[in-house]
Order: sequence, then structure tokens, then C-alpha cells
Amino acid sequence: MKKNTAFSGNLSFLSLADVLQLLGSNGSTGLLRLKTPQRSEVGSIYLARGNPVDASLGRVRGLEALFAMFGWINGEFEFRLEDVTCENVIQKSRMEVILTALKMLDDGEIETVGMAEEQDGEASLDDEHFAVVPVIKGPLIDYWYIVDEENFEAGTKIVEQGKHGNWIWVILEGVVEIRKETNRGTLPILRIGNGSFVGSLASIISGRNVRSATTVAVDNVQLGVLDSQRLANEFAQLSPEFKDFLASLDRRLRQVTDKAVEAFEKSGQIEEFVARQDPLIAQGAHVDEGFVITQGEAFVVRETPGGDVLLADLYRGDFFGNMSFLDIGHEPNAAAIYSSKTLETRRPNLEVLEREFNELSPTFHNFIEHMAHCITATSAVACEFMKKKTNSP
Amino acid sequence: MAVFNIRNREIECKIVYYGPGRCGKTTNLEYIYRSFTKQVSGKMVSIDTDGDRTLFFDFLPMGIGRVMGCDVRLQLYTVPGQVKYSSTRKLVLKGADGVVFVADSMEIRREKNMLSLKDLHNNLKGYGSSVFKIPLVMQYNKRDLEGQIPLMSIDQMKKDLNAQLKVPDFEASALTGNGVGATLKECLKLTLKSLQRELKWTE
Repeated sequence: MKKNTAFSGNLSFLSLADVLQLLGSNGSTGLLRLKTPQRSEVGSIYLARGNPVDASLGRVRGLEALFAMFGWINGEFEFRLEDVTCENVIQKSRMEVILTALKMLDDGEIETVGMAEEQDGEASLDDEHFAVVPVIKGPLIDYWYIVDEENFEAGTKIVEQGKHGNWIWVILEGVVEIRKETNRGTLPILRIGNGSFVGSLASIISGRNVRSATTVAVDNVQLGVLDSQRLANEFAQLSPEFKDFLASLDRRLRQVTDKAVEAFEKSGQIEEFVARQDPLIAQGAHVDEGFVITQGEAFVVRETPGGDVLLADLYRGDFFGNMSFLDIGHEPNAAAIYSSKTLETRRPNLEVLEREFNELSPTFHNFIEHMAHCITATSAVACEFMKKKTNSP
Repeated sequence: MAVFNIRNREIECKIVYYGPGRCGKTTNLEYIYRSFTKQVSGKMVSIDTDGDRTLFFDFLPMGIGRVMGCDVRLQLYTVPGQVKYSSTRKLVLKGADGVVFVADSMEIRREKNMLSLKDLHNNLKGYGSSVFKIPLVMQYNKRDLEGQIPLMSIDQMKKDLNAQLKVPDFEASALTGNGVGATLKECLKLTLKSLQRELKWTE
């Protein structure tokens, strides 16, 4: 350690907010320097009697430089006792700086630098096809709809594909793996963690109660049983349009899952989607509208370095386009839409749908968002095969 | 986790006002800030977060004497209600020594109160604490609206929120200041008691 270093450490252990509070309550005067592997510049923060007075990061100075450093998740800090003679550029108190910076961070106004939330050491799977099955964590758990709690030991099956059952659970603690039984054996699709849901919307929408996948507890898992009667009642009160939208979302999730299974069964030889015409919506295009299919077919296709991958077939009653209130990781940003010649569509009222979405109970809202995350993650699994194919000679 | 500042001979304690959005957390703190000017040190920090504001200021309570030869300095905070402000909430709740849970008496907020309390419990669990361990005081706010808007009865609120916890609770109207001081005083008392217990235990 250099000679006048008074205090140093790791930012992933003690964040900048914590460091500033510590130095602040100690009334320290000196220079705090920050380094992160992701940036070539070293950041400097000058403190006088516990309050930041100036900062610099490359060419940026003052408050702007200081705020930017709040986004550094990993790296090192080092504090040296020094006389600080610089001008008082930052006029705010340290708590004001810290609270403002964290607010900006949460609002996405400060860029996060370094590893975003690590999937804390989830064991990688010994499956030849996946280095790591993605783990999806859900939002804060809403306890309002939980009627009972159940515990499952590591390795036990929670539901079995093909069996009957219509319970829906929310994961209170632990990680659960979703598997599909296929002709080529078991395919692990996703791992889901705290706040995620086990069970499908289909049981609420159509009363269908055949389990479409197997779910296994990866570690010791605590589940909350949801009051499905209440969820069903809430669903019953939704507008027909919103019900259709949810049904379409459920179909999209099934489609994507089926595509992944198909690719797996063909030993990863996923067929490249060959377009015969220009896409209706190009991947990455700017689209504000949503569409509902009234006739014909459409295809959701993702361009990957290995080729175009068909993620889902859409039919009459299906929604596509930019549903700005719900990101399913498909079109328009991460997939294109191709249409059959006979395709006809109408425009749903997105504002009304969005309002209805925002008015859902927290549990229902979380459930829908969870489905959207599953679509995103399962699509990535399907595309993984395409990559595998091109990587192999 | 109170911080002992040896140089200033001060113990810094953190008291956090928690509760559903628009329940009156900020109104509580604003009232304290305005009415106890002599005990407030420094400026009030107010950050506009979606839905409500996040407030912070230092408070030097009078008449409680010294603890272990140190003066007590309180840091009073409100927590932003919205889920997305996780960094802010984490910073505020981390190391909280005491919590005031402000519940909204309005009938239509019944569910929000219960959800928020569960949320608090969840958040505290992340720091190895819980609503059962941390010094906690319950406040049934907005009693001044009695007769104007449908309010829940105190009995019902006690049953909803305090049946298991059995912590000290107060009726209040943060707008008029009724019950605000009593709530803070009780929370401070519990916090200091718990600190003393902790200190003796480690000796």
C-alpha cells in the first residue's frame, strides 16, 4: 500500500455511496481515487471535512464526474489524507449527492459500468448443450395472493410434463429448473428464481390443466401457492381485447419453447429461415404500432450471426408489433416480422391495453412480466442452437 | 448499525420512515423539520423521486441525555415507494436502527398498507434483520380526514398491521402535526434501548 493511503478496498464490496458515507461521518479531508477495469481513466474525488468539493474523471469535472462514478460496480478505491485546496465546485452536501446519484442510477440516467447483477454463482449445468441455463429472477413478491406455502427439497419434481394440475406458485426462495421432455431426452430450458412463477396462464385462460413442462427444484425451494380463484376472477373482469392479448402472449411462449425443443430434437440442426420477400417489420426498425392478425400468418424471425432463426408462427388473433408497455425481447428490436401473402391485420388500441396492464393487481402484473422474460430467455436458448451449428465444422 | 464517531463523541443513528406511496412519510419529516428547528442541523435534502419525494436530514434530539458518554445524532430518512428505486432504498434501509411505519388510514389504501409492510419485511430480511427484530413503531396517519373520507377504524388497522407485531402504535395527522412528535420519540426510545441491549451483549 502506498505510504499515505488511509483507506482502500474493493468497490464491489463497499460501493461509492458507502465509502462516501463512511468518510463523511468521519469528517475526512483528502483525495479519493477510483479505478475500474472497464475504464482507462482514474476518477478523483476531493473531500473537505467529509463533503465532496470537486471531482474529475478524464476531461469531465465536478458533479457530472462524481455522478458518473456511482455507476461503477466493480473496481478499487483508495483514500489518501491530503490538504485539499481546490475550489468548492460541488456545492451539495454529501447526502444530497449520494441520494441524487442513486436516484439517477435507478432512473437509468447514470450508466452502469462493470458486471451487472451477477447470477450469484448459480451452478452451471453439466448439459452438453448449455454452458449455463439462464436464471430469471422475478420482481418483488406480492404476498397478497399467497394462500399457502410449500417446501420442496433439492432434486424433487414440482410438476411433471403431461400430468394434470392447475396450481400456480410464486417462488419465495430458491431456484427451479424448467425442463421439456423430448424424443432426445430431457432439455433444460430455463432456471427461474425468487419472484418468478411456476405454472402457466393457460390454466386460467382456457382451463387447460395439462402441464406443458416439468419443473424441478434445483436447491431447497420454498413456493407460495397463489389464490388461483382470485387470479381467475381478475382475468374474468378483463376486457376481451386484453384477454386476447394474454392468450396470444401465452401462445407465443409455447411457440418459442416448441422451436427450441424442435431444434434440440434435430440434434441442434435448426433450419435456417429463408425469406422469400422483405420483412414487414425489419429487425431494429422503428415501429410504434401494434397489430392483430385477422387473416393469414406471420413469422417472428431473429437474425443471428449464424443465420435467421424462426422463433414463432403467428396466426389469427395473435398480436405483434411494438407493445411498448411489455418487452418480450422480439420485434421490433430483436426480431423481424415476415408475413404470408394473405396477411390482414387490424390495429389494437395500445393505450387502452397499456392502461389495463398498469391497472392489474401486482401479482397478475408480475406474472405477465415473468412470461415476457421467459419468452426473451427461451428465444435466446433457441438461437443458441444456430450458433452451435455454425461453430461446429 | 449505529456509527460511533469517536472524534465528535457522537452516536449516529438512522431512523427510516417507511410506508406506501403518499401515506405521509414526507409530511411527517417536513413537520419535524419545520417545528423542531433548534434540533435540526443542516439542510433538508429533498430528492424528487417518481410518486413521492425522498427526504433526509440530521436531527439532534434534546433531553435524552448521553449514551455511553456520547451525544446522539439522528439521521432521518424517508424511503421512495416505487420498486425501481432499489439502490436508493437499499442505501436508506441498510443499517437502519429504527423504523417508523406510516400507514394510510384511508379505506382504499388498506391493501397498499399491507403490501408495503410485507415489502419492508422482505427488504429487511436482505440485511439479516426483520420487522420482528428491528425497533419499529406504527403510525396510523391521516386521522384528520375523519368524517370527510372513508377511513378505517383504528381497531381494524391494528388487526391488519399490528396483530402479529404488537409494536407501539400511534394515531396521527402529519399535516397538523398531531402524533408526529410522539411517534418519533417512541421510535427513538426503542432504538436507544435496543442499542444498549446490543452493547451490553457484546461487552
